[in-house]
Amino acid sequence: MKKLSYQDVNHLVIDRCKSGDHRAQYELYKLYAKAMFNVSMRITNDYTEAEDVLQEAFVSAFKNLHGYKAEASFGSWLKKIVINASINAIRKRRSELVPLDEQQMADVPDEVNEDYSEWQVDKVRRAIQKLPDGYRVVLTLYLLEGYDHSEIGEIMGITESTSKSQYSRARKKLLEIMKEAQFAN
Amino acid sequence: MKDSLEKFVQNNREEFDVFEPSPELWQHICRELPPQAGKKEAKVINIKLGSVANFSTDHFFMRVAAAILLLLGCGLTLVLVKQDSSGASTSIASVQAANNVAPELPEIEAYYASQIEKKKTELSEYDLKILGLDEQQVIDNELARLDSSYVHLKKQLYTTPNTDEIVAALIQNLQIRIKVLNKQLEVLQNLKNVNQELISEPKNDDTTNA
Repeated sequence: MKKLSYQDVNHLVIDRCKSGDHRAQYELYKLYAKAMFNVSMRITNDYTEAEDVLQEAFVSAFKNLHGYKAEASFGSWLKKIVINASINAIRKRRSELVPLDEQQMADVPDEVNEDYSEWQVDKVRRAIQKLPDGYRVVLTLYLLEGYDHSEIGEIMGITESTSKSQYSRARKKLLEIMKEAQFAN
Repeated sequence: MKDSLEKFVQNNREEFDVFEPSPELWQHICRELPPQAGKKEAKVINIKLGSVANFSTDHFFMRVAAAILLLLGCGLTLVLVKQDSSGASTSIASVQAANNVAPELPEIEAYYASQIEKKKTELSEYDLKILGLDEQQVIDNELARLDSSYVHLKKQLYTTPNTDEIVAALIQNLQIRIKVLNKQLEVLQNLKNVNQELISEPKNDDTTNA
């Protein structure tokens, strides 16, 4: 995501949004839609669902804009809304996300060769999309969205240590998928 | 300690954002948003005319208003002084003079009126609600304000001696209207293009199938 000086650039637009100015809302939307859509895409792994989430998140953000207190940047405030909406979406879709710990614990080998000189962004990205929901969410929140394990725990309603162990399993699984993909290519 | 995977992702973070939401999503969002509130308090209207000329109409009108007041003051003094010196005969003379004050004005007015009418017809061809824009009211208010300041200026034309400045202000007033309308047309045209792309896509599919 682009780094912007939120307080300066956006605070005027945000003020206009608070009075329901549709043009100002569109400006904010244009600024954040792509980044937020990708956040949602990574979590839901489904284009239609990610669009629904994005719509729901922006509508709720604009309606609750008075609750935004400029403690954090607008971007990270919005991102929390998008992530929560995305996680709700996959919880509704599948119950398998809830028992996080029971999920595929045994089938991950301990040692995986990490030859990342051959990694390509697209390959890594596609491998992430192949991860099961529980793994994918923790891994993307940690690796791509930049949350630490205690924040992830808070977001997902799990303990910090569960997030840590879930992440390390997800990471191993990812490398494994990448190896398979390399064989396939 | 950062491992290789973390480093790799951090170094290539931007490239991971490969998806784009569909362009019509904003229309859906817009439909769910409450209509614009606080229109009454929106007294300052910022009109962006490209990146070069970005001015606040309120400031502009303050300046015009100040100019009018000044001219009014000067005019009144002059008229009073004249009446004092030459008596009742001047009032008849001033009425006759009024027709000759700005002989070019009717022509100018007719030209701009036709231009403005044209833009307005173009504008009315867009269905604003479908395009998700709620700005027409603002534009209408703006035009109404330009209208009243025009009427005001025109009254001044016959009572103040400095007709050139008033005529210039009148022309400027007309030109601002055209700029406002052009800007709105441009916005709508952009939106329409986006919408047309969306509509034409499925149609293309149909023809290729047939």
